[in-house]
Parts: sequence; C-alpha cells; structure tokens
Amino acid sequence: MFQLPTVQFTEEQEAFRLEVRGFLHEHIKRGTFTPKCDSWLSGVNPSFSKLIGEQGWIGMTWPKKYGGQERSTIDRYILTEEFLASGAPVAAHWFADRQTGPLLLRYGTEEQKQFFLPKIARGECYFAIGLSEPNSGSDLASVRTRAEKVEGGWIVNGQKIWTSNAHVCHYMVTLVRTSPFDGKNKHAGLSQLIIDLHAKGVTIVPIRFLTGEHHFNEVFFENVFVSDNMVVGQIGNGWEQGLAELAFERSGPERILSTFLLLDELIQELKRQGNKEGLKQATKLLSRLWSLRNLSIGVAKLLESGDAKDVAIPASLVKAFGTKFEQSIPEIARLLVETYPKLDAERKFDRYMAQSILHAPGFTIRGGTTEILYGMVAKGVVAK
Amino acid sequence: MSEMKDMILDVAERMLKDYITKDVVDILEKGDWAKDAWNLFQDNGIISVAIPEEHGGAGGDLEDLLNLVRLTGKYAAPIPFAETTLANFLLETSNLTTVDKIATYSLQEGFILQNDQVSGTLHNVPWARHAKYLVAFVKSNQGVQLALIDLADATIQSSTNMASEPRDTVTMSDAKAQLSPVLSEEQIFYARSIETAFKIALMTGAIEKINELSVQYTKEREQFGRPIHRFQLVQHQIVQLAGETAIAIAAFNNVCAAIQSKNLLHEIAYARIRFEDAIATVTSVSHQLHAAIGMTHEYALHQYTRRLWAWRDEGPNSDYWSEHIANYLLNHDDKLWAYLTKTLENS
Repeated sequence: MFQLPTVQFTEEQEAFRLEVRGFLHEHIKRGTFTPKCDSWLSGVNPSFSKLIGEQGWIGMTWPKKYGGQERSTIDRYILTEEFLASGAPVAAHWFADRQTGPLLLRYGTEEQKQFFLPKIARGECYFAIGLSEPNSGSDLASVRTRAEKVEGGWIVNGQKIWTSNAHVCHYMVTLVRTSPFDGKNKHAGLSQLIIDLHAKGVTIVPIRFLTGEHHFNEVFFENVFVSDNMVVGQIGNGWEQGLAELAFERSGPERILSTFLLLDELIQELKRQGNKEGLKQATKLLSRLWSLRNLSIGVAKLLESGDAKDVAIPASLVKAFGTKFEQSIPEIARLLVETYPKLDAERKFDRYMAQSILHAPGFTIRGGTTEILYGMVAKGVVAK
Repeated sequence: MSEMKDMILDVAERMLKDYITKDVVDILEKGDWAKDAWNLFQDNGIISVAIPEEHGGAGGDLEDLLNLVRLTGKYAAPIPFAETTLANFLLETSNLTTVDKIATYSLQEGFILQNDQVSGTLHNVPWARHAKYLVAFVKSNQGVQLALIDLADATIQSSTNMASEPRDTVTMSDAKAQLSPVLSEEQIFYARSIETAFKIALMTGAIEKINELSVQYTKEREQFGRPIHRFQLVQHQIVQLAGETAIAIAAFNNVCAAIQSKNLLHEIAYARIRFEDAIATVTSVSHQLHAAIGMTHEYALHQYTRRLWAWRDEGPNSDYWSEHIANYLLNHDDKLWAYLTKTLENS
C-alpha cells in the first residue's frame, strides 16, 4: 500500500524544466509579475494566464484536438513545480486546468469538450469549483443547493460559499441535489452542473480574507436556468465523478510548495550570513521537502500509469503531511533568521514571511481538511 | 536493479519468516544468535549477493543487497548479515579479496598503521566476537587505508547496544593486515555513504514492521466495547505511522534508484536526516498505541523500537549529513530550487 514508483526525469524533461524556468525568470525580470507565496490561490492575473496558454502550458496533457499538447503527467508535474517555485500568478486558470479539464475529458459530452477545453487551454476561460455551502463543509454530501427539472434544463436555487476566485471565473462546476436527500444513501441524488456565472439569477458577494484580500466568495443562485447540455456526466452520479479527481487535487506539488519562496530566501539569507549552524538546522526542512516530493511524484507516476487502485491513501498522505510542512516553514525560518514580517516589506524574507504566516491557516483546510484526510487514511489502512 | 531481485527477495523473506520468530530474536540476549538462518542464507548464496560471480559471489547489485538488508531489519534477524555484506562490499570496491566467512566492519577512527601493522582500539564493533574478519579504516602518515584483519589476532571485549545486539571492543597490537592503497577523500566519503545506506535499509524494514504490528494491534485490542482503531484519536496516531512509513519506504526506494548516480550522496543525506523525524514519531506513536503491553519483554514491539533507538546513533548520523549539506550549500552559488532539482533528480 505504500510502495510507490520512483521517477527518473529524462533529458527532454530536464530541458523542459529549464525552458519553463527561463521563461518565468524572463517575465520576473520584465516585471510581468512579482513572485508571491501561495500564488496558485492568490495570484490572479488573466493576461499572464493567456501568456501561459500561448505557450501551450494549460491543459498540456489533453488531446490536441481539444487544444492540448498530449504531454505526459510528469511534464505537467514539472511545469507546476516551476510555477510554484517561482511564485507565478497562475490562480485564474488553476482550477480549470487541474480539475475541470480532466473532469470534462472523462465525463463531458463531445459538445462540452469542444466548447470549453480549447478556451481553457488558451487561458481565456476560468472555472470555479462549487462544493462548500454554509452548512456543508467537510460533510459535503449534505449539500442543499437544488436543481429542479424543467423543460430543456434545470432551475437552480441555493448558495455556495468559500468559492475561490468566483469573481474572476466564467463558469462554476456546481455540485447540486437533483433528488431529495436520502439518509440511507446520502451520496445519491447529487449531480454536477456547469453554471454560467454571468447568468441571470447569479449573485457573487466577496468574503474578505483575513488580510483583506478578495479570494473567497459567496455565490447565490436564484432561479438560475441551466440547460440540459450543461449537465456533466450523469444526473445522480455527481459524487462519484467528483471523487475521481480527488487524487489529482490532493497530491500535487501545490501541497508542498505554497511557501517555497520563503524557504528559498531562508537559505539565501543563511548563506549570505555564512551561518553554518543555521543551515544545518534548515537541512531538516530540506529533508522533509525531499521526502514529500518523493511521495508526490510517486503518486503522479502511479496516476499516469492508470494503476490508481491504491492511490487514495498516499495521495491523502501527501496533502495531510505536505500542508503541515508548508505551515512549518515560517515557524522554523523565523527562529533561524531575524525578521520583522510585513506584507509591504522591501526585504523579500520579511515579505514572504508575512505572506506565509497569513496564508498558512488555509493550507490544511482547503481541498479536504486534515481531519477528513486522517479519517480516510486511517480507515483505508485498517481495512487492508 | 537486477532481474534476480524479486526472486531472491522472495526466497529470503520466506526463510526469515520461517526461522526468525520472536523467540529466535530473543536468543541474542543470551549471547547466542540464529546460526540456522545464517547457514541457510550462506547455502543459498544470499550472503554473497552484490559480489560479482567472477569473484566467487552470487551476482546482483547493491540495490538487491540493500533490499535484503531491509528484510533483515524487518525481521530483526539476529544474524551478522548487514555486517558481513557491507564488509565484503567495502573490500570489493577497494579491490581487496572478499571473504566467505562472517565479517564485520568499522569506519571509526581508532586503528593506527605502522610498518604495515595495525594497532589500536575500536569500540562498538558490531558482531566482532562472532566474526572471523574485521574490515576497518586504518590511519598512517600517508592517509587512510582499508584493512582486512583476522580477528584471531584481536582482544575482544563483549558489549551490546540498547537492542542487545553485539557491539564489542576490539583491540589489536601490531597485527598483520591486507591493505588497500591510500584512499582518496571521495573514497572515504563513499564508504561512509554506503554505511549510511545500509542503516537506512535496516531502519526502513524496522519501521515497516512496527507499522504492521501497530495497525494489527488496534484491530485486535478492544476497549469500551469496540476495537480501538474506531476511536478518532487512535486513528490520528495510525495516520502518523502510515505517513512516516510511506515516507521511509519512498526515501529508501529513492536512495536505491540513485545508487548508480552522481547524486547518491545528497539522496542518502536527505534520507538519513529525514529518518530522525520518522524514528522519533514511529517509536513514540507505536508504544502509545500498544500502551502497557508494548513495554513488556514478552511482546515483540521492543525488538524493533529498541533497534531504531540504537541504530540512529551508530555510524554517520544525521548531524554528520546536515554538516555535509550545509558545507555544500555554503560552497555553491546555486539558488535553492536549481540545487534541489539538479542534485536530487537522477539525471
């Protein structure tokens, strides 16, 4: 259950890594973006997303006929690592690339694939993920937003909450109840609908993050009409469809590298100071990063080979342990190099420190809380 | 990894399962050891894996051997397997003739070479009282050489580590030895790296076993009318073990995958540093899950936790490897990400 493949990068993959790195460094130099911690959630920059799309770096594993490049999962892994290590603003297209694309490729209609995927790949079409509701956080099966069948489509009423970047997205893949809650089979009767966030009856209200920044939203649906061709997969199959992508969502490098910029600056500062004792302490962080990366790449390889039978446990472990690691970086770094953390500090170390500390609470909550992951892992381990 | 790997690992694990019971591990405390299992290993050529066939070995590579060492760690096998095979591996890489009797090693300082004769004292030499040969570093005016020494010429004082494994004091006085040429810094460092890799393999096996024992125990032990794995706080502990076990196995596999690459030293360093976390967590969590029974001599858990506590302070420890990495970082200008992706991938 814990045996994962190891990955040796090929020369082509190494070259690709350097190509992406060179591209990003060039754009940092030109001022296209300023690197930031946690930029995959907070770095919304549509013009940068379009630039990435022009490179063929969105949906790069998808079939060419839908705007993809038919590259490997490992290539995409490398790309994602480079984005995160450079703190690039990839939030706008993030969920469409990571989740919506694979979802549509697996369950979408031909019409949906042809309509959405090329636009997503060009970096022009962004998706929000509509799961949580005010009374439905970790207990996702209790969602109450409902869709009722009408001629030619569905009428949606209800509310989603904590929807990241809904205010810049064009659509939302929305988990809704299409038949009444059944206590005996609470995962039945759920469906996924694509809702146009600019449709009549949709209201988006910001929820300010603790820094005052705007990432989260409440999204209200009041008699919103969704036509039949915007149903993803089968009516009533929403739970299973949603679960299928979780391993991808949980085990990527974004569960390890959200505060990497701070770790990078920590090492730079210690080297500048010639502080060998501090560097020795910091090797603990590097060893943790190394070992989590082994797991995360191993899961990616396993997913690519399609041997996904045993992948749920290690994928959940990557998220549970990886996000704790992300949170630990500022806690350890501030004891090794003196700092006065400030979001507008001139010194990068202080700025990244502030970004890391203030964003850290979200790491172990978003995409499945640590508590839910622990429950899944424990049950899985005991069942073996 | 050679093709023989799966087959030989299968055979070895079946032998260990059959021969190395809890009682057999215990005999170490009485000064005895598992000679039957050793003879089986010897008869089946398992102790000469990773020695080339043209040198009388069984073939296979270092990765095969490390996987066998991992198995002896998983069964706490009271046989001088890691010691003999590491001694032979060191001989082989120094172009000295390998041996077919029990051998042990020590890469600590303590032996001096004068007029081609070895004198001095080494402490905590594993299995010395049972071994015919000792492979050790010896220091002379020229530098450090590898020596193959017949322990018949030594005075041996018995002692044990915290896990009751033999760790003896070996004293030599003007003893003869077969000597390698003076070793380069790189060769010395490589020997220490491989010594560490052997420890990583042993530790990985012990961690796997502790995880198995603990999960099994939470399924069997009932309190308040249900098995304890049903309690969320117990589940939390089970996940800590699962995470550390997954990390240990992946670390070990990545060390193996790097065996042939120039980045081996970094992989070994990071694995060894990371095992400090793993050992601290796995030993404390497994004992907490087992509660009182885990502290008894009768139950097997201590055979593995005591070994982890002993092994982590034997050979190059995490401080040694932190120092190595810190020096590397101080002497190289690469940015961190470039360093991590360049050195830690086996390109």
